[in-house]
Amino acid sequence: MSAPPPVPPADAPRPSSAPRPGVAPHLRVAMSSKRMTWLAAASLVPALGLGVALYGVPALMVTGASLLCALAAELATTLPWRRFTLADGSAALTGLIIGLVLPAGAPLYVPAAASAFGILVIKQSFGGLGRNWMNPAMGGVVFATLSWPGAASWSIAPLGWPAGAALTPLQALRAALSMPGSHQATPLAVLEKAGYSFSGLDSGVVGWINTHLLSPAGLALRQGTLDVFIGHVPGAIGASAPLLALGAAYLLHRRVIRWQLPVIYLGSFVVLSLVFGGLASGQGWSAGGPGFHLLSGNLVLAAFYAAPDPVTSPLTGTGKWILGVVLGALTFLLRYFGSLGDGAAAAIVLGNCLTPLLDLWTFRRPEAASRGAA
Amino acid sequence: MSTGLLLLSLCPAIAMTDTVIHSLWMSAGVILVSLLSTIARDVLDRSSASTATSPKGAVRLLRALLISSVLTAAFEAGLLAVSPTASASMGIYSPLIAVNVLVIADRQPAARSLARSASGALGRGLAVSASLLVVAIFREALGAGTITLFPAGAFRGTIIVGPLVDQPVRALGLAGGALLCLGYLAGALQAIATRRASAASEGEKPR
Amino acid sequence: MMYPTKLLKGGIDPPSVTTVPPGSAIVNAALPSRALIPLLQHAGAPARCLVKPGDLVREGMIIGRAEGLRSAHVHASIPGVVREVRPFTLPTGESCEAVTIELGGSFETSGKPTVRRAWDGLHRADLLQKIRAAGVVGLGGESLPTHLKLAADAGRAVSLLAANGLDCEPSLSVDAALLRQKPAEIVEGLRICQSLLSPRRTVLALGDHSEELVGEFERLIDRCGMTAEVLVLPARYPQGHEQLVASAISGTPPGADPTVTVLNVATLLAVFDAVVLERPLIERVMTVTGSTLSRPQNLKVRLGARVGDLLEECGGQPATQKVVMGGPMRGVSVQSLDLPVTKGTLGILALGASEARAPAELPCIRCGACIEACPWGLAPTRLFKLVRIGKATAAFREGLSRCTECGCCSYVCPSRIPLSSILGQGKLRHSREATR
Repeated sequence: MSAPPPVPPADAPRPSSAPRPGVAPHLRVAMSSKRMTWLAAASLVPALGLGVALYGVPALMVTGASLLCALAAELATTLPWRRFTLADGSAALTGLIIGLVLPAGAPLYVPAAASAFGILVIKQSFGGLGRNWMNPAMGGVVFATLSWPGAASWSIAPLGWPAGAALTPLQALRAALSMPGSHQATPLAVLEKAGYSFSGLDSGVVGWINTHLLSPAGLALRQGTLDVFIGHVPGAIGASAPLLALGAAYLLHRRVIRWQLPVIYLGSFVVLSLVFGGLASGQGWSAGGPGFHLLSGNLVLAAFYAAPDPVTSPLTGTGKWILGVVLGALTFLLRYFGSLGDGAAAAIVLGNCLTPLLDLWTFRRPEAASRGAA
Repeated sequence: MSTGLLLLSLCPAIAMTDTVIHSLWMSAGVILVSLLSTIARDVLDRSSASTATSPKGAVRLLRALLISSVLTAAFEAGLLAVSPTASASMGIYSPLIAVNVLVIADRQPAARSLARSASGALGRGLAVSASLLVVAIFREALGAGTITLFPAGAFRGTIIVGPLVDQPVRALGLAGGALLCLGYLAGALQAIATRRASAASEGEKPR
Repeated sequence: MMYPTKLLKGGIDPPSVTTVPPGSAIVNAALPSRALIPLLQHAGAPARCLVKPGDLVREGMIIGRAEGLRSAHVHASIPGVVREVRPFTLPTGESCEAVTIELGGSFETSGKPTVRRAWDGLHRADLLQKIRAAGVVGLGGESLPTHLKLAADAGRAVSLLAANGLDCEPSLSVDAALLRQKPAEIVEGLRICQSLLSPRRTVLALGDHSEELVGEFERLIDRCGMTAEVLVLPARYPQGHEQLVASAISGTPPGADPTVTVLNVATLLAVFDAVVLERPLIERVMTVTGSTLSRPQNLKVRLGARVGDLLEECGGQPATQKVVMGGPMRGVSVQSLDLPVTKGTLGILALGASEARAPAELPCIRCGACIEACPWGLAPTRLFKLVRIGKATAAFREGLSRCTECGCCSYVCPSRIPLSSILGQGKLRHSREATR
């Protein structure tokens, strides 16, 4: 700290902030950004656990590769400058998210390259934590999906599925809908008609519920409801929407993330798929299977873990609402009319590009010419 | 150098760096046309009676455009004669040689000797070629797993870059990869320039 | 009773800040055997020393004369002998002279029956002179000489006179205790100020933990024939700041308003003492508290008493790692326990090891918590980045001048960035550049 300033001339108004030894305030809020990142990483563990249980060692290898590569990339760009930033948890969180978004059958260079690209190009090249304008995890995943479109979507059959079943429900749905005459009332009906079979657990439980509980009331659950609900389908490692939502609920409770962006995002997606989604599959308005689409792919993970990332989300509440609507619209378009898989990662990446503009537009500057301005 | 002109010159840069051989052809065109148009412009300048009658402003720009366009057309015809395949692969991007030449041209040429102007144009052309080559190698080696050059003797013309050829990093081979490489190149040059500037200003600071 | 027209936007609610319960009585602190009285205890130029070592001083005798218009007199808080007059550096970094008085001799006014003087017939100039002679300064933190605040210019109409009964820091309970123990004197002080300023509107603002006193204050106001309203405000930091009190009453956005005068209730009490009892300002009430003290209390302390002695009086433990003069949000952390308390000392806070730890700074993650917390509607995340890259003027265009360094932004920042002090440095740098 420099020497205290000389006593100003008598009668001169003294600015209220001569340098003070010891910095006020002497109280701080308990939650730190480090703790926020590690809590987010910890809340992903249940979904990771289910993924490892379903896919076994390949899931561990994929997640391990992406984690290690993310940590190594961060070390490579900070140690030569004598800084150690792994303790703030953001590289670990990026690696974990990338691992959860990729399928268990991906060859190891896919998660490694995705993590490396995400950390080196998207985060560190722009100045490190807090300076990136694109989500590193989603950017890395988009990079991997564009570079190796086949390899990055090689899913393997999870535990309890017939070996060799490698199509995700979303891919099967898309394939089925491209054939004429396949349109049904709900996506699960389309899959059933196309002959897509779910796991034995699902047929057992759904069958039991139908015979004992629902058929007296005249209702019936479709085959595949249980599997899709708990995420027991071929696809990404961390595709279990209930477990992800549980983790996200904890983060919302601890105020690590705010509810506006995820809820508006999912809400806008649901509204659009209800109103327009049925059109794509020939079911007319007010159809389109929003429930199925909410639970498929990486939508829940993107909505709760990638979209509300504080570094890349708008600062103002209005901005968050607008971005939520835009993200929902982009995901809807990419998923229903695109060919890029589940579209959530690409939507996040596109939405991130919009964030600085939203900040500029929605920021209300205090009037510069207020009375008493110095 | 205005942003608009820079953006304009990005187009041929991205288009012609998808393989190494394409960037080499583009560089050849830029060097040749740049050299010849500088010589032509210098000769024309010297032949006008005085500075009062030499063209200014828009007319000057028009003259430069005309010269480089004529030379580019000549280059295109020559390329078609020498190597029809190369000409076909350059396709619609060969007229953009004129754009590149204009972008790198010396804006306010001082009264220099012809030899110095010519060597200046040659140097600038070589600089463009170097950066195009770097980007092309980056794009092709990573994005397709090969490096395509001229076939010569026993050499088939294509260098295979290890296992990358089976599963190349397609995203880097696309236009985005070119922009990424250009961005890092620009950043590196900026870092060098800043370091040089701060070293110079530190040298001037009184101790 | 009325409720605020504009609720506080932002602000913070720090949990578990140790404070003294508002119901507890104010205790007279032990007399200091040696008082170190700085001659700069106010905003403005230091007072000129009138004594030299060896002089005998009486209690309440003037020992420093105000130098220039924006200055105040300084009085001896204890009778005795002047031991030395030496240069002194205040915790805020300013330097002045300080007079050390060793206790001795008899007390002239303390312990003797007080004589109340009538003031209703006094001329305005005489009232101001009495206030000035007593060395009354603002006791709510800014320490502006009160006679300046009360000297309304001919052309300036005062739209609002507010008595601020909200403590301005979470750990303080000075105003709450004074409101409970000396309501009549505070109302009388308010009446004096009202007669000097002739404001369109007079409001007494209380915190919500003083809500049960509303009836008593309304009765007192009625009895002396004043027109004043009583307002209850939720005591959320930094509602006690004078700009926010004025904003809550008038409904305008918070900012410096020259037609509004806000005076702390402790200052009103000092005005009463100056005019009615003709006592100079030689002591003040402060809250001495902290998690490491066994007997936190509101003490009435003679100016110049030693911080260390006061801490011991409140059961200072060896566990105290850090001592802050003021409150936790804007207080100054001091290195030495030999420092004296002055007119501007609102309280003393003793912090233990876990509270005293300085956290490491992380990069800004753009969470927006500081924007939500700022009561003045600023965006500290943008402003501090501008200041750090040297663009203090651009920061000013975005509203940096309105920052009062309340500390809410630093409090909520999860990356532990010292936002309010960076903004303060930015203001300082800009004012230096502006005067260059």
